[in-house]
Amino acid sequence: MSEHSLGEFEELVLLLVAANNKEAYGVLILENLEEKLGKKVNVSAVHVALKRMENKGFVESSYGGITNERGGRRKKYYSITSLGKRVLDSQYELRTSIYQQIPNISFGQ
Amino acid sequence: MKPQPPKRALQFLRWFCREDYLEEFEGDLVELFEKHFEISPKKAKRKFFWGVMRSFRPGFMKAFYKVNYSITTAMFKNNLKVAWRNALRQPFFTFLNTSGLAIGMAGALIITLFLHDELSFDKMFADAERIYRVNIENRTAGETNHFAAVSSPLANVMQRDFPQAEMITRLKVSNSILLKAADAEQNVKEDYVVGADSTFFEMFGLKLLYGNAQTALEKPNSIVLTKTAALKHFDLDKALGQSMILNNDEVYVVTGVMDDLPKNSLLRNHGVFISLPSFSDAKSLAWNTWSFPTFVKLRSTANKESLQAYLSTVKERYLIPWAMTFIPGMTLESALEMEKSSGNFMNFTSIALTDIHLHSPNIEDELSANSDIQNVYILSAVGVFLILLACVNFMNLSTARSLKRAKEVGVRKTLGSSRFGLIKQFLTESTLVAFVALVLAISITAISLPYFNQLAGKTISIPFGSPLLWLALFLVAIVLGFGSGSYPAFLMSRFAPIKGMKGGDISGTGGRTVINSLVVVQFAISVFLMVGTFVVFQQLRFIQSKDLGYQKDQVLIIDDVNATGDQIEAFKNEVKKIAQVENASLSSYLPTPSPRSATTYFPEKSLEGKDALIIGSWDIDYDYISTLGLELVAGRDFNMKFATDSNAMIMNESTAALLGVSPEEAIGMRFTDDFHREDKENMKYFTVIGVVKNFHFETLRNSIDALSLTLGGKPKKMLVKLSAGDFSKGISELENVWEKFAPNQPFDYYFMDDSFNHTYDAEQRLSKIFIIFTSLSIFIACLGLFGLAAFNAEKRSKEISIRKVLGASISQITYKLSIDFLKLVGLATVVSLPLAGYFMNRWLQDFSYRIEIPWWVYVLTAFMAVVISILTVSFQSTKAAMTSPIRALKQE
Repeated sequence: MSEHSLGEFEELVLLLVAANNKEAYGVLILENLEEKLGKKVNVSAVHVALKRMENKGFVESSYGGITNERGGRRKKYYSITSLGKRVLDSQYELRTSIYQQIPNISFGQ
Repeated sequence: MKPQPPKRALQFLRWFCREDYLEEFEGDLVELFEKHFEISPKKAKRKFFWGVMRSFRPGFMKAFYKVNYSITTAMFKNNLKVAWRNALRQPFFTFLNTSGLAIGMAGALIITLFLHDELSFDKMFADAERIYRVNIENRTAGETNHFAAVSSPLANVMQRDFPQAEMITRLKVSNSILLKAADAEQNVKEDYVVGADSTFFEMFGLKLLYGNAQTALEKPNSIVLTKTAALKHFDLDKALGQSMILNNDEVYVVTGVMDDLPKNSLLRNHGVFISLPSFSDAKSLAWNTWSFPTFVKLRSTANKESLQAYLSTVKERYLIPWAMTFIPGMTLESALEMEKSSGNFMNFTSIALTDIHLHSPNIEDELSANSDIQNVYILSAVGVFLILLACVNFMNLSTARSLKRAKEVGVRKTLGSSRFGLIKQFLTESTLVAFVALVLAISITAISLPYFNQLAGKTISIPFGSPLLWLALFLVAIVLGFGSGSYPAFLMSRFAPIKGMKGGDISGTGGRTVINSLVVVQFAISVFLMVGTFVVFQQLRFIQSKDLGYQKDQVLIIDDVNATGDQIEAFKNEVKKIAQVENASLSSYLPTPSPRSATTYFPEKSLEGKDALIIGSWDIDYDYISTLGLELVAGRDFNMKFATDSNAMIMNESTAALLGVSPEEAIGMRFTDDFHREDKENMKYFTVIGVVKNFHFETLRNSIDALSLTLGGKPKKMLVKLSAGDFSKGISELENVWEKFAPNQPFDYYFMDDSFNHTYDAEQRLSKIFIIFTSLSIFIACLGLFGLAAFNAEKRSKEISIRKVLGASISQITYKLSIDFLKLVGLATVVSLPLAGYFMNRWLQDFSYRIEIPWWVYVLTAFMAVVISILTVSFQSTKAAMTSPIRALKQE
């Protein structure tokens, strides 16, 4: 598990990459994140997470075509790798399995 | 046209960001910028800028990206690993090496912090570089004295005819005062009190916590307290507007509370600022009393020269015309002529505010004790010595150790290592050690700084928050690492690989010579410092045990006896009745630090300027001379039986010498200080009735000035001579009497010999600092010698074994191993002793009363150097000589 470690923020970014597979790029992820989290995030934080996960092999990237947007700079689209998906799955499994162990707690009124 | 993102930020991003990330990041940032721009252009720019800054991290940088994949990095990592393993393989040497360097660095760091503090004095004030103080340089009777306070009218006339002055502020030196809140009973004594003009706060850019800085010191009987002083009486926020009683007499109103002044400022001790109009002489037009330190802030267009040029005109324009009003027959020409012929003069000079602390030692009436630039130089030299010693050590041990690694170098070379690669490896090792030592040094400094502060009377701390400090330390470690690693590195990388592989003996490469000369340098420095310490200590002992001409032992001084009011004589009589009291006297003047005053006397029948006698004058009483045990060389003491003694004078031998008469001839001479009056025929005269043997009333840095003693004055102190034995009973009796005459006043007393010893605090401190750093340097030098001896013994273990097998005794072998080092130490001593003698003699020149450096200082130093080095070396040598020869020989 430790070599496939995934931070909380990284996990969020990875989920968004998976949700927008092949369409995900920096600004899109940022805007989705800000919308879901309801707070401001700096784009470089997203970059850091993406680059780290790329090094770990959770995501891969490819350039899009040149458009008129962004002063002619290409977008870099990210997609999740099978390793990334597995890590995400195991993370999800881990959470749900523990979550299901929670007994019925009553918060007495 | 699309909005353009900020150019600078973009350029910066392109400069640092690695190429393979750049397009993506730039694109994302620009896209966001364009989106934000529609909402708010300003915000968009800021966000873009911030985004760039946030991307400025190692992972995104070109430099680091490249580094990660280059051979240089790989080699660097490998070098580090090798260095680490090497360090662990010889833990003893590593320990010696690192700790020596760490101690040296820590010593130098402490000295640097100390010097930084000394050099920072008074620089925190607003426009400090434009503020000057006017001083007085006065030469009478062949002696030049400097005064920090000047005449009262100077500020006024400057204000009028020196437009280059932006602002002028006068202070007024004041004695200590008793202060209490109007409704309080108990007085608090304040030692550091100063009168100040209303412009004082503006001049120095000081703000008040409470009160109006503009007006606080405008009216008479206003008082501004520092936080510390105010808290002794009130809650801070309630102090403003309170009434206070000064010296049980006058009522003052607190018009301001200010922060305590910085510890590295001229006014660091002062707690009470009294408005100048409260002083009766604040408007005095007299040019001959000097009690107003006067500060001038120059306009930025003016400079020190213009101030000096103006000051040099003051004497002719104001001072002499003023003197002419009461000295008959005096003209400008005659006054100037007189100055020339007598050699006596008085000039106004100026000193920059920031120079006061270090560049005006031996100045009188100074607001706080000054330091001396000479001490700064001495300590800088000691600091450089320390670092040098530590470096030499480091270099020697590294060289010695690396010689042993000839085989390793040989193998590396054979395998294709370049010379440069080897140099890098050795430099990496030494830099690593330097950094470890740096960390240790910082810890040592942090731990020892409080003790040092106590010793030096400072409140220095390590400015951990200062990036400059870290940068400097980082650079120092790099420089030390490279500096001390360079020699072994170049030495080792030079020789032919075959030589190293064959036998490991590369003694032909010159390494020994360099090591030897470095040992000489080290011990020369240590010997130098040792002589210095001895001389400073001897001089101090000489000063403290010198016959001062008065008896300072068993004399108790009670401060502020004027608190007894008109009961003062009754108080004295009551004190004299106490069984343990031998004698008691009332006066403000003491041979130990106390206020001083000078008076101008004219001899009978001559009011000509050249005959003026400006000498110290003390008001004393009938018991003064007997209480202090002063010795009369001619004439008699004051005596109550003679009513005429109120107009009698006793002078010291220096005064007689100044007059050019013998003590006997001086008796009966008459002098007047009453020359201002119109009806000259009614002038009052003092008749000389006695001459006392010279006694030291200034520090022994100065010679004994001329002095006159007369009866009268308003005494502020009582001198009580106690009989030998237990003082505590006498003191408690004294306190009882005090309570009776001055209830609720602080009973403040001290022994005269303590006060005397405080006079030499600066020297005491210097000598203690000296001894610490000398011990450190000797310790470091010995560490080095110890390491070298150990290394030598190890290297020659086979030789030693063979010698033993062939019948050499342990002592012969020990001698053989030690003698080389002793020769070096001997050489160092011979070189260093004369140098040390020369420099210490120059230091002694500062004292009027000084020792000759005794011959035994040199002998003892040489002896100690030799003994210490024998002890250091012989431990290793004997150990080597005692090991069983089998062990060393069977290794092959």
